[in-house]
Amino acid sequence: MRILLCIVALLGISLPAVAHEMTPTYPTFSPSYVNGLASTKMSVFNARDDVDFYEVAVYNPVWEPVPFAATDKILHVPFAEKKSFDVYVRDEDIARAVYICTLSKLRSDKPSNAIISSKICSRTDRAEFR
Amino acid sequence: MKRPSIYAAALLLSVSASAEEAVIEGNVQSKCIINTDVNGVYGNPAPDKLSTLSTDGGVEPVIRFDVAVADYYLARITTPTGFSTSPSLSDTVTWTGSTSVGEVSDTGMSAYSTNKVTYDATTEFDLTIAGSTWFNVSSVAEYGYGRALPGGTYRSVVQAECIAK
Repeated sequence: MRILLCIVALLGISLPAVAHEMTPTYPTFSPSYVNGLASTKMSVFNARDDVDFYEVAVYNPVWEPVPFAATDKILHVPFAEKKSFDVYVRDEDIARAVYICTLSKLRSDKPSNAIISSKICSRTDRAEFR
Repeated sequence: MKRPSIYAAALLLSVSASAEEAVIEGNVQSKCIINTDVNGVYGNPAPDKLSTLSTDGGVEPVIRFDVAVADYYLARITTPTGFSTSPSLSDTVTWTGSTSVGEVSDTGMSAYSTNKVTYDATTEFDLTIAGSTWFNVSSVAEYGYGRALPGGTYRSVVQAECIAK
């Protein structure tokens, strides 16, 4: 039993931690402290040891970019850390700001030659979550 | 006589304090987690070919999607259509790629293979069941017509997207 536990522990240590996570799935915009702007709070968790930065983007239903503001459009999220960020859109853009996404930014000096870029998008227009 | 009764009272107090309930709260929030289990490596089975297929000496990238709540997300995987890093190339590169369902945490996920939608270099899977799904990605790049690829480092990017429905 002890040997089995040791093997499991060693496997856990040797397995690379390589996850990208973003919440909530269905954020809602609410009035912000700035007149004419609505905001929503998002959170990204970086468990990818090969990624330190994530790009924030906002899209309409047909994946065209929607203007937005955020404290940082490129987030520095060190490995195994979680970062919350606010996304601001103009009141008139709320209806078309459907997808809020984070995209991993890859380093060019990575040793592996087929690299995986991860992108997670939340959706703001699900009526049942408003 | 007074002292033992004080001790007894103190003991009772401490017992009642230790009997407080420690409440552990938790909730399952809908979310998608993209895990890059294997990054993949190109093999070079012929002078004009790079391939992640194991039969060509490569390693296929493996991406795991974990969804906490069923039917909230789409998985979209796009195989490479260009190199992100390469030596200068004077001829065209022909790209082929595919994405298949590997291991699954729920037997019902086997339907993902039959229900997948493929367009251009992108394959879309509807994640209708909560749990983990592993996707195997293959990518093959063939250079010109019988021309050897110039020596150097080649890199390409597989894009894994998890889109809320």
